[in-house]
Amino acid sequence: MNRYARIFGQYLLVVAAAVVLNFALPRLAPGGPIEYLAPPADGTVSEVEREEILARYDLEGSTGDQFVSYMENLVNGDLGTSIRESRPVVEVIGDRVLWSLLLVGTAVIVSSVLGVMLGFAAGWRRGSRRDASILSGVLAVDALPAFFVGLMLLLVFSVKLGWFPVYGAVSAEEMDGFARVLDIGRRLVLPATTLTLVGLGSVFVVARSAMISETGEDYVFMARAKGLDEKGVRRHARRNALLPVSTVSLLGFSTLVGTATIVETVFSYPGLGSLGFAAVRSRDYPLLQGVFILFALVAIAVNLANDLLYPLLDPRVRQAGSSENDS
Amino acid sequence: MRKILSALLAALLLSVFLSPAVANAQEDEEVVVRIGLHAAEKNLNPFISPTALPITHDFTMLVYDTLFWSQATLNPEPWLATGAEPSDDMRTWTVSLQEGIEWHDGMPFTAEDVAFTFQYMSDLGGPGRYGHHVTDHPTYVSSEVIDDLTIAITFEDPLSTFTMLPGGDLPIVPKHIWEGVEDPTQDATSLAIGTGPFRMTEYVPNTSYVLEANEDYFKGAPTVDRLVMPVVGDAQAAFAGLQTGELDFVTRNLPAPLHDPVNANPDLEIVDGSRMQSLYLMFNTRKPALNDPVVRKAMSLTLDVQQIVDIVEGGLGRPGNDTWTHPDSEFAHPTGGHELDPEAAIANLDAAGYTVGADGVRVSPDGVPLAFDLLVNAAAPPQIRAGELVAEQLEPLGVDITVEPLDAPAIGAARRPSPDGPPTVDMFIAVFESHAHADPDHLFFFFNSPGHGGVGVVFSGYANPDFDALLAEGLTKPVAEKAELIYQAQEIFAEEAPAVTLSYPNGRWAYRPAAYDGWIDDPGHGVFTKRSFLEEYANVSEPEPEEEPEPVEEVDEVVEEEPEDVEEPEDTVVEETATDAGDDDDDEGSDDDDGGGFPVLPVALGAVVLGGGVVFAMNRNRDKTDTVED
Repeated sequence: MNRYARIFGQYLLVVAAAVVLNFALPRLAPGGPIEYLAPPADGTVSEVEREEILARYDLEGSTGDQFVSYMENLVNGDLGTSIRESRPVVEVIGDRVLWSLLLVGTAVIVSSVLGVMLGFAAGWRRGSRRDASILSGVLAVDALPAFFVGLMLLLVFSVKLGWFPVYGAVSAEEMDGFARVLDIGRRLVLPATTLTLVGLGSVFVVARSAMISETGEDYVFMARAKGLDEKGVRRHARRNALLPVSTVSLLGFSTLVGTATIVETVFSYPGLGSLGFAAVRSRDYPLLQGVFILFALVAIAVNLANDLLYPLLDPRVRQAGSSENDS
Repeated sequence: MRKILSALLAALLLSVFLSPAVANAQEDEEVVVRIGLHAAEKNLNPFISPTALPITHDFTMLVYDTLFWSQATLNPEPWLATGAEPSDDMRTWTVSLQEGIEWHDGMPFTAEDVAFTFQYMSDLGGPGRYGHHVTDHPTYVSSEVIDDLTIAITFEDPLSTFTMLPGGDLPIVPKHIWEGVEDPTQDATSLAIGTGPFRMTEYVPNTSYVLEANEDYFKGAPTVDRLVMPVVGDAQAAFAGLQTGELDFVTRNLPAPLHDPVNANPDLEIVDGSRMQSLYLMFNTRKPALNDPVVRKAMSLTLDVQQIVDIVEGGLGRPGNDTWTHPDSEFAHPTGGHELDPEAAIANLDAAGYTVGADGVRVSPDGVPLAFDLLVNAAAPPQIRAGELVAEQLEPLGVDITVEPLDAPAIGAARRPSPDGPPTVDMFIAVFESHAHADPDHLFFFFNSPGHGGVGVVFSGYANPDFDALLAEGLTKPVAEKAELIYQAQEIFAEEAPAVTLSYPNGRWAYRPAAYDGWIDDPGHGVFTKRSFLEEYANVSEPEPEEEPEPVEEVDEVVEEEPEDVEEPEDTVVEETATDAGDDDDDEGSDDDDGGGFPVLPVALGAVVLGGGVVFAMNRNRDKTDTVED
């Protein structure tokens, strides 16, 4: 009980900090939404006109006033009106959140499964040639920047081989049910592959080292000693090694949302990352705030989920927690 | 486990090879052109069009019409109008309208709609890209509907070029749709209804548009049945889409590095056109030293603009004229040209007391060093390249330039006067768009002091009473006199150099002729124009001899590539986008790409990865023998 209260208290503090930063950071960049609403070449706007224009987006008045109205709106769940889209931020984000979820979700799942498989395969026989080759292969891929991987996949599989479309999440042409699902699937392959390759490294490294440490455990030694075959021993080790991996792959969700910005840009994928990028470039404060707060909340929620899940997955943590300490 | 995986894989592969077949199943006789837009344009609502985004106007005009077409010529063709006559004082224009035109929803188009468009825009205070046609010179006063097809529109001052502007530029909107809309600037999703050759049937915000032919168009049904227009913000992806056949045309200018590869591809063609753009270097004439015409002119005399055309535009463009206005504009100075004389520049600076300091940088008689920051749009590679060349070329003169790439809002903030003083920018490079060059009064708008509506203040701060007087007088004069006054002002401009035009880049687009080859150059607009889709214009020009008129089919997804053809659009230069008027637009990703070329790197890295994979695969098989897999 005590433990949960403390965890939630900590997270509330983090959320509060995120909310304040979310307001402050966009405003620290040079230029502002007025640059978009009334570009310099349109002439200078008088103070009165300026306030009028900004009032439409609830951005008038001093920074203090804006903060107060930002907080009020946030509490009411109102994220304001996007400046560059002329639509409610909630609606703009709503258009894209599913695509982001599809892209990032696919990448997280595939990279976790693949990372675990490769990591366990490598870690099981540490130091073997198999380990060395998987390790160097994965790390080499991991070191490649996302935009480069994306472009290469695009050039090879779209331009040269013509297997996959080059842009977007769904065709602009009308299609009936099944064809549409296939179209979405085809368009997902390259961006999701890119993101998977980018996210693979961290899962792999953790899975590998978790497996390595398990192979040194007494119970493995014991299992072997009593004559269990390799397959059986491996099954025991695998279950225990999965614990740290669950943390990394959940966290991958929040880091890949950020990396997705680049991938979405390369493949013109209508996700939240490219939306956030566009918002930065037009200093669309309401949209920026909306996208960033969502990212921040996802990251926080993922961490919270980890904190709460861990004891459920690992009885040792559960016991340690009840007898005082944790984390 | 393995079974599930292989089943998944099989399903995936199946879907990959199945879906093109499905897509092609609905093939019929329709002519469909797939156009990759480089930016989203909301729902083409004319009241919120971003300022002067390069394709905004031409895209909007596929759905809407203007009274005349186009703004780029002194005698535009009557479009919704059949003609227009000025009153003796040229303040009132009486416009007669085409009979029998209908809006896309079937309602008749009448003079009421024209009156409403002007009045509504004026009541709203002129929002968006088109607003200045009623709020700036010529300032709209009132309109009077004489009968269903005749309207008299009155302006505050005499106006000799009504048919160009606003006649050739302001889209006419339907009264019955807009009069009930409370705040038109907040409508960004409804489907646009106009009179134009295409009706908007689908719009997915930021993602795609579908336009269907308006079969009842008063100039005849368009030559294309449907335009499918996805927004492909990334230049690499857009040109890759063109190569794979997913796209038939890209609105983005074909970057110079891609000319040869596209030429080598037998499935693609290139078409040239005039965009009436310029790339310019602007001085903040309120800064010490930069407020001295001798210094500015010395820089102008030193700049080798031909070299900038050769390097930045790959030779595809014309060198800038000292008289600013685009040579294709109706009000271009008859001689123009650029004066290149670095020795004279040095002599002039020496004579004016600018001495060279120990570090090679000149210092003004007041002790101000000629060291400046040059802001360029970080998202526009041509601007960065031009900036570097400017810095290099000015070094021998003793002027020290630091090129600073920033994002558009940051440049905008530096260009805007702060409450307590002039803008902080020293100089910047940007693009002046065709709409601006076409406007007979652009020098007045952008360089007059203090500037109509304050524009001049933000633009350059340039102030010269003689220059101002010539342009102010020209505003209200008949065309011939007006032109004469503008030429005189341009000569002052050339002498005092508040800005230096670096180049007039060509317009150049790539397309897939098998899908559609009716593209024509509409002067000042390029080929992405409604005229490219109207029989009257499209088929007349451009008889491509090598193209048999084979029946147009849906383009296959898979395209064979010639061995040496298009490698990749990596060094893609993207055109400007940061328009003079509104570096804002780039948000849409019209700007772009990193333009980084990596010739050896990818091969090396690819080899490493491949090698790793092979070793891995080999080991895997070896290990199989001693490890039992489940």
